[in-house]
Amino acid sequence: MPRLPQLCRIAACAMLGVALVAGTAQEPFVWDLPPGFPEPWVPADNPMTAAKVELGRRLFYDPRLSANRTQSCGSCHRQELAFTDGRARGLGSTGEEHPRGSMSLANVAYAPTLTWAHPTLDSLELQARVPLFGVDPVELGQAGREEALLEILRRSEPYPELLGVAFPSDAGPFSVERILDALACFERTILSGRSPYDRYHFGSDASAISPAAQRGEILFFSGEKAGCFQCHGGFNFSGPVRTAAQPDPPRLFHNTGLYNLPGTLSYPPPNTGIHAHTGRPEDVGKFRTPTLRNIAVTAPYMHDGSVATLEQAIEHYAAGGRHGDNPLKSRAIRRRELSPDEKRDLLEFLRSLTDQTLLTDPRWSDPWTARPKK
Amino acid sequence: MSCVNNIARRGFLLLLAVAPLLAAQQAPEKPILTVRGDLPSERTFTLEQLRAMPRASVETTEDGVAKRYEGVWLHEALAAAGAPMGDELRGKALAGYVLAVARDGYQVVFGLAEIDPVFREPGVLLADQVDGRPLFPYQGPLRLVVAGDKRGARSIRMLERLEVVRLRAE
Repeated sequence: MPRLPQLCRIAACAMLGVALVAGTAQEPFVWDLPPGFPEPWVPADNPMTAAKVELGRRLFYDPRLSANRTQSCGSCHRQELAFTDGRARGLGSTGEEHPRGSMSLANVAYAPTLTWAHPTLDSLELQARVPLFGVDPVELGQAGREEALLEILRRSEPYPELLGVAFPSDAGPFSVERILDALACFERTILSGRSPYDRYHFGSDASAISPAAQRGEILFFSGEKAGCFQCHGGFNFSGPVRTAAQPDPPRLFHNTGLYNLPGTLSYPPPNTGIHAHTGRPEDVGKFRTPTLRNIAVTAPYMHDGSVATLEQAIEHYAAGGRHGDNPLKSRAIRRRELSPDEKRDLLEFLRSLTDQTLLTDPRWSDPWTARPKK
Repeated sequence: MSCVNNIARRGFLLLLAVAPLLAAQQAPEKPILTVRGDLPSERTFTLEQLRAMPRASVETTEDGVAKRYEGVWLHEALAAAGAPMGDELRGKALAGYVLAVARDGYQVVFGLAEIDPVFREPGVLLADQVDGRPLFPYQGPLRLVVAGDKRGARSIRMLERLEVVRLRAE
């Protein structure tokens, strides 16, 4: 007789557990958008859910995603550096150097295209394949090891449970596609819009940024002065953004006069910009405009890290490019008459774009550090 | 005696407190827009004068975010300055244009007929507010919002001067 209530209690607990798990999976995802930010574009076949985001966060920081278990996505995209790595060029798990630097993942959900110069790589689901399975260069080194990777995850807690919750309608959720889906969902949540600049603009805090930064903002948005906004426009300071309301924005790439080598390729291979994909001579040196949010913590700069400091970056643009005679240089890049005081004001403005929340918020931190893996 | 001193001190403090308010009320407001050129006379506008005119608004989208700009229609400000608008905008007056000049020297041009709703809609807004707030210094205090344009380059920010040019005399 006493066993019946106990069975009922166990059954009730089990039902509650199922309900909680199901609740997590079915819960509609609620964006925590910073003030003034629109809803990002999300592919129809990979809608956002809290369960996928949590799974993606685990995967993002898991070194088992690299073949030799030395690196995770988070190795080259460190939260405290606005999801860059502080290096001029990335370093893969086998020691191979990437020809270009790690890009910030802050607000990557809004990027019309991914990586520095790829005109057709336009979803995070597609992009995540590159570091996982790419061979030129090797990053996480999983090319040809897809089944081995899936087997490791099948045997590793808490993935069986998390995958089941994140993809409840799948018969067997352990697939490369589902891993990519979850990684993309987590990356889309990495939103940066709580800097002093944002408090000044959206929080009605007139003293959130210094008078120098306010002067710098005017210079930044003046086409007659610094003109930075001509490429770094919009709330993300990155040019056109991809949003739910604007899913197909222009895909812009610019040659900023960093190089002007003799011959047909004026930029040093393999970093010839989107020319590497299109083959068109006029595309040499054209790269995507990165966001300027958190730019003060993402040195060194440019696709190859060849500009060490933010001060040098301002000098580069004020001079109209390091090699301003490149005939393919964007028309927005031209010599700008800026006084030393004006350059300091610009610098102050750029520093006001650092979002401490992004750099420290536990939502985007490494979940494994709190509970070491076995 | 001490009571008198106390009252005097309080009176002085009160005067100190309200002095800026009195000064703000008494000081004439500074013009923020000059309209000049082929007009009967040069005309300036203060923010107060512009806000006393019929208000208008334009709703637009920037980066997927809805924005509501408020101000006055540019054609009404120009008409108030004596530029040919409405029924007067015909014949030789149609060979006229407005040069809009920003504080940093940026310039854009509109034919007079482009501004006048008799010819074309939507009009051009002379905006002093966005989403109920004054424009930030990098935008204002005045800007144009050209709702019909596909690109934003003529929606000039930091506007400070309009120059009316009539290529053909009456």
